[in-house]
Amino acid sequence: MAAIGIDLGTSNSCVAVARRGRVDVLPNAYGEFICPSVVHFAADGSTQVGEPAKAHAIHEPENTIAAAKRLLGRYFFSEEVKKAKAVSSYQIVEGANHAVRIKVREQTLAIPEISAFVLREMKSVAEAQLGQPVTQAVITVPAYFNDNQRQATRDAGKIAGLEVLRLLNEPTAAALAYGFGRGLTQRVAVYDLGGGTFDVSILEIGSDIFEVLSTCGDTFLGGEDFDDRVIDLLADEFASRHKINLRQDRFALEKLKAAAEQAKRDLSIDDEATIRIPDVAQDAEGNALQLERGISRHEFSNLVADLIQRTFKVCDESLQQANLTVRDLDGVILVGGPTRLPLIREAVSQYFQCELKADVDPDQVVAMGAAIHAASLVGDEKDSCLLDVTPLSLRIGVAGGLAETVIDRNTPVPIEQTASFTTFRDFQQSVKIRVYQGESRVQEENELLGEFEFSGFKHARRGEVRIDVTFEIDTDGIVNVTARDPDSGQVASTRIHLSSGLSEAEIQAIVEKHQVTAAEPMAPAGPTAAEAIAALPRRVTSEAAAALPTPEPAAVLAPADAPSLEDDELFAEPPQAEDGIERASSVPDELELATAASDVGSPVGDPEAALGAGAEFDLDLGAGDDSEELELAPPAADAFRHDPGDDGRTRAIGGEIDLEALETGAPSGEMLASDDVDLEPLALDESDLDSLAALADDLPDLPDQASVEDDAMASTRPRQERDQAGASGDDLFGDPGADLSIDPGDAES
Amino acid sequence: MSQTSIAEIRTLAGLLEELDYYQVLELVPDAPTSAIRAAYHRTSRRFHPDAHRDAPPELQQQVAQVAKRITEAYAVLRDPRRRQVYDRQLAGDRDRVRMPLAEAEAQADRQRRDQHEGRTPNGRRYFALAKADLNRGDRASAERNLKTALTFEPDNAVFRALLQELVARPSGAAARE
Ligand SMILES: Nc1ncnc2c1ncn2[C@@H]1O[C@H](COP(=O)(O)OP(=O)(O)O)[C@@H](O)[C@H]1O
Ligand SMILES: [Mg+2]
Repeated sequence: MAAIGIDLGTSNSCVAVARRGRVDVLPNAYGEFICPSVVHFAADGSTQVGEPAKAHAIHEPENTIAAAKRLLGRYFFSEEVKKAKAVSSYQIVEGANHAVRIKVREQTLAIPEISAFVLREMKSVAEAQLGQPVTQAVITVPAYFNDNQRQATRDAGKIAGLEVLRLLNEPTAAALAYGFGRGLTQRVAVYDLGGGTFDVSILEIGSDIFEVLSTCGDTFLGGEDFDDRVIDLLADEFASRHKINLRQDRFALEKLKAAAEQAKRDLSIDDEATIRIPDVAQDAEGNALQLERGISRHEFSNLVADLIQRTFKVCDESLQQANLTVRDLDGVILVGGPTRLPLIREAVSQYFQCELKADVDPDQVVAMGAAIHAASLVGDEKDSCLLDVTPLSLRIGVAGGLAETVIDRNTPVPIEQTASFTTFRDFQQSVKIRVYQGESRVQEENELLGEFEFSGFKHARRGEVRIDVTFEIDTDGIVNVTARDPDSGQVASTRIHLSSGLSEAEIQAIVEKHQVTAAEPMAPAGPTAAEAIAALPRRVTSEAAAALPTPEPAAVLAPADAPSLEDDELFAEPPQAEDGIERASSVPDELELATAASDVGSPVGDPEAALGAGAEFDLDLGAGDDSEELELAPPAADAFRHDPGDDGRTRAIGGEIDLEALETGAPSGEMLASDDVDLEPLALDESDLDSLAALADDLPDLPDQASVEDDAMASTRPRQERDQAGASGDDLFGDPGADLSIDPGDAES
Repeated sequence: MSQTSIAEIRTLAGLLEELDYYQVLELVPDAPTSAIRAAYHRTSRRFHPDAHRDAPPELQQQVAQVAKRITEAYAVLRDPRRRQVYDRQLAGDRDRVRMPLAEAEAQADRQRRDQHEGRTPNGRRYFALAKADLNRGDRASAERNLKTALTFEPDNAVFRALLQELVARPSGAAARE
């Protein structure tokens, strides 16, 4: 049975299969290779996907769902959802736990459910072409997708009845399709500009090895932004001429969107495009007004120049992360519809100063790569080894609203890292662990992947308990976090599958719903499966966690083995910052933690039973004061800030003074100057020379650096000061100092 | 790839906690930087989870353990700064075969800062003053401050090199502008 590759795009999707050394992109019954990722819900309960669905957008925008992928794996309050709400004609509503739902014809649908319609379409196109059932697929995702988005994509696959063999990053898939079986040795960039997102990856290809050196992206940048520029131009001109704001008219806006996109596409072929919308609006007397205008490549290029420049900022970053310059590259692979624009092709070849790989179809190459990998995973094709990276830094929430890095972005995957923590309070019963992805040290500026409570460890004085938190990123880029107590085999380990999206039960319910509706037309009214199960507790799929006693508030973790930790002095008094701390949940006391004597690696207890008994772990987002709920202090891995010795502390402060002195141009210390400095020639090794070069570069940037340093130092205080703060219970949570450490020793047991 | 024998995977998975990063990548400890990527590719070909999809679950788990350790070894050794930090740890204690990435990174950063900005408060202070002098074009003062910085940190190669450059190439400042 063939396994297929699906490019599930924001704007368009594509399906391919690899067999007997050939890769075929599979067309639908109309001979179309590309399927718009649009789903239309008709009044009779039936649905359509693709071109016919897209045709409904103008007449029934509220029942036609386009670009659902923008919402996939997002929280309702996120910027991306706000932006989508502003431009979408369909109804985006809030579901349980800050999830996003779409309301269409009295149904409420989860986003993976919408994506599943598209996946199901791709599946049936493949089945029709291959003349056999298809159940296995590799699905591609933007390289820059975070864990929540990846999980949601997997959920969509499940709902569509597919076994998702792998999630593959789109640029990696493109590189695979380009290099497969050609025995190349090349370093290439993949420039992937789609409908709503931009990704760039730099890869090293060595015959059957495809190693991603770095990947960067912008999830707010794509061909639709180009359309928006044209829409703005048209709407502004129309407003000044007719005093009518077309943007407030849903139907006019849809027409503008379609016309702007068409004009943009025309400009990839011709030097000049004509936009004509008859009957775009009516004047006060009820006369039809039409919009007609020409646009040249030159004018268009001025409209979007800054957007193109933004893609190069991302390319700069990617090169820098890979420690390369454009001179190190052998070529660029262009992916995505907008890269058909000569404007973009020219800009890209100028930026990279190298060849654009011509033998690559920008709309199909991603699906082809996915198909090749799918075939090799099921043994139909020879293997290639795809070595990818994680696009975002993985972080753990610590005291003071900060998030400490555990795994840096662009670290290769699969990978696992363990950090050790200890309790902060005497006889503390549980700790709360929050996991983030992003590049900010401030928790809120990162994406929350999930939070969970861990308990069941021994009751002991603070610092006597050790808790190992293991972070794993698998080959799909999906994150798993496990907390366990290595000291006591009797205590359960809690395995958490982080997910902002649907629970297993919800997915199952949706799958069943669709199995029913596959036979009959969809029921137009009544509560949907998603609604019916909305009451189910979510977030924590961990059996053990669900059965835990009430978590202690203000449970700050501190390092178990950190030599510098002087618990009794440091925390002689229980912190007084407890007031106002929210009780996380109300688990009945009699629900004792189920334990497993030896098998600490496996989940414990029965989730259904535990959940049924009323355990509830709501995702608590945004509400309340974060700093008071934090329960982890940062690991000491950030050694220069957590140096146990005084030297580190002093250095941090000294650094600040130095920089200040520099900024204010303080007098040089002539009085202390001494001339008897030995000047004998030095043997510098290569790394010294590098440092020196970097230093020379640094010089003009000094003020900049100073501000970064300030930022880094702001939370670091001399130990003494900290101790006082601790003793008075004041500001204890504001200090992410040496309260916690990643155990440098046998991090893994 | 799938020729990697079951016995080999089992053995490696069982030994994992005793192998240092060089052994995991099948490298000699003084392997040149260029050999590290090749070793990563070679070992990944054999132990990447994708190549063992058909294996029984227990074996898949072992392959995953090995693959994750290979990646970790690569993430530390491919970066000369992290590698240096790791080598020192290994020299100090043969049993500490792993090093958290965040720790390797932080120590490497600290090492760089020590060289680039100074390790002692006074070293840092005078070095920063010297840099400010240079930015203003006051080479005489820069030289004095550098020398002072060196009295506090005679072994700082960065301070020393800058001072040498100042003394050796009196017109250097003009060129730098
Ligand atoms: N010939 C073309 N010239 C310019 N833009 C195009 C062309 N064809 C498609 N596009 C644009 O490409 C975008 C969709 O690109 P695609 O790669 O299919 O996106 P995604 O992968 O996000 O689904 C849309 O904004 C569309 O208008
Ligand atoms: Mg795409």
